[in-house]
Amino acid sequence: MSYSERFKEHLSNPRNAGEMEDASAVAEQTNPVCGDRLRLSLRVRGGRIERASFLAYGCAPTLACGSVVAEMVEGMTVEEASRLTRQDIVRALDGLPARRQHAAALAIETLRAALEQTMDDRP
Amino acid sequence: MRRVYLDNSATTPVDPRVVEAMMPYLLDKFGNASSVHFFGQEARAAVDRARREVAALVGARQNEIVFLSGGTEANNLAIRGVAESASEHGRHIITSSIEHSAVRGVCDALEKRGWEITRLPVYDEGIVRVEDVRAALRQDTVLITVMLANNEIGTIQPVAEIGALVREARAEGRRHLWLHTDAVQAAGRMPVDVETLGCDLLSLSAHKLNAPKGVGALFVRRSVRLVPQSLGGHQERERRAGTEAVASIVAFGTAAALALEELDARIAHLGARRDRFETGVVERISDIVFNGDRERRLPHLSNISFRFIEGEGLLINLDMQGVAVSTGSACSSGSLEPSPVIRALGRDDELARGSIRFSLGKETTYADIDYVLEVLPRAVENLRRLSPLYQKALADRACQVA
Repeated sequence: MSYSERFKEHLSNPRNAGEMEDASAVAEQTNPVCGDRLRLSLRVRGGRIERASFLAYGCAPTLACGSVVAEMVEGMTVEEASRLTRQDIVRALDGLPARRQHAAALAIETLRAALEQTMDDRP
Repeated sequence: MRRVYLDNSATTPVDPRVVEAMMPYLLDKFGNASSVHFFGQEARAAVDRARREVAALVGARQNEIVFLSGGTEANNLAIRGVAESASEHGRHIITSSIEHSAVRGVCDALEKRGWEITRLPVYDEGIVRVEDVRAALRQDTVLITVMLANNEIGTIQPVAEIGALVREARAEGRRHLWLHTDAVQAAGRMPVDVETLGCDLLSLSAHKLNAPKGVGALFVRRSVRLVPQSLGGHQERERRAGTEAVASIVAFGTAAALALEELDARIAHLGARRDRFETGVVERISDIVFNGDRERRLPHLSNISFRFIEGEGLLINLDMQGVAVSTGSACSSGSLEPSPVIRALGRDDELARGSIRFSLGKETTYADIDYVLEVLPRAVENLRRLSPLYQKALADRACQVA
């Protein structure tokens, strides 16, 4: 099992870790197979994601994908973020071993769940 | 970057003295030990000498040692060899719930073919109880296989007491009951003597003893009949066909002789450094659980579960700082279930997933330990800051205080 340098870099310097006081949306998803958890908080203003933060428990890919997704979506519009796919996450990590792709899927699921909440809030 | 290797239960560096001893058998003394000519006889003499050295390490006779490819093959030959040879007398095997996968896998395979397997619990302390072995014994039990010391938590099993039980049963006329022990982790880290243990078969691996990978041995007491698992040659007294790996066997013999000679010094060296490590960890990191009995265990190993985090992330963080360890988390072992050994102690999934094995070697220094004590608390703290379980625990504690 080998991970990319970028992957390891995310793991040793996770981006945007933590909870957020003034979040517009908070979603937490669990991988039912292995029990990995990802919690994502977004602050959305005027249809744009100003800040994103994450908490994660589980194997290394889950932590790295959480870090990547929180970093990636900052500055994106809700529209842009909702178009992100699992492959975008994998690419941002310079690849993931075949058996660990589910971590990227968990990141996208959690992102979509959070984005859905921001849609609900629209007037 | 500084590099600290704390994964000596996975494998050990080859001792330079061992390399020196084996080199001539890769170069000039390349003969096949089965050949009649000079080259063959030179190799034969070297294999015989190594056989005496390995036998001495475990208090066996020379002709009771079978060389083979390693611990996994030794366990396969022991268990399948006895099971097949004794099948007309019974098809029941007793084992523990914390065996190495090489024993577990063979027992699982035999179970599919109609053998009955009793897997004994190890309780909170990670040690089999002799009364459970006694209670599990049946008229059709042909084999008890319990490891001498566990590879993940280092706990030492009461094999000598089980051996006494087997002798007692034999005195009462049970002629087809055998005792096997996997001593791969134990050898070179505690005294091992087949007479004291009362075992009939005992597995050894060279690469856990500062010799190369690819060679091991099975002690087979003279009275034991085994069905060989590889056929087509007369080597190893018909018990393991195949040209002997002469240079590796020489290396194994030299490593065994050194391990025997230096055993007391190694035990003292390992224990002192392991204790300094554990004291340091307790002082610096909260919410940890030591896995396995802390008295009855090998001196080189420490297995700790760090609450709220998963082992793989910690392993990679430590690796990036030059520290090599291993984990019981499922992901890094390629399975979905976390360590069955840690689970067998009654620990929940979170603790099993957060377990890390630190295993020291005779090369480990105090400076190595101090470096690990510097980087480990930071790595744990960094991962805990990401953990929703940790954040929740902090919030719960704040509530309790308020």
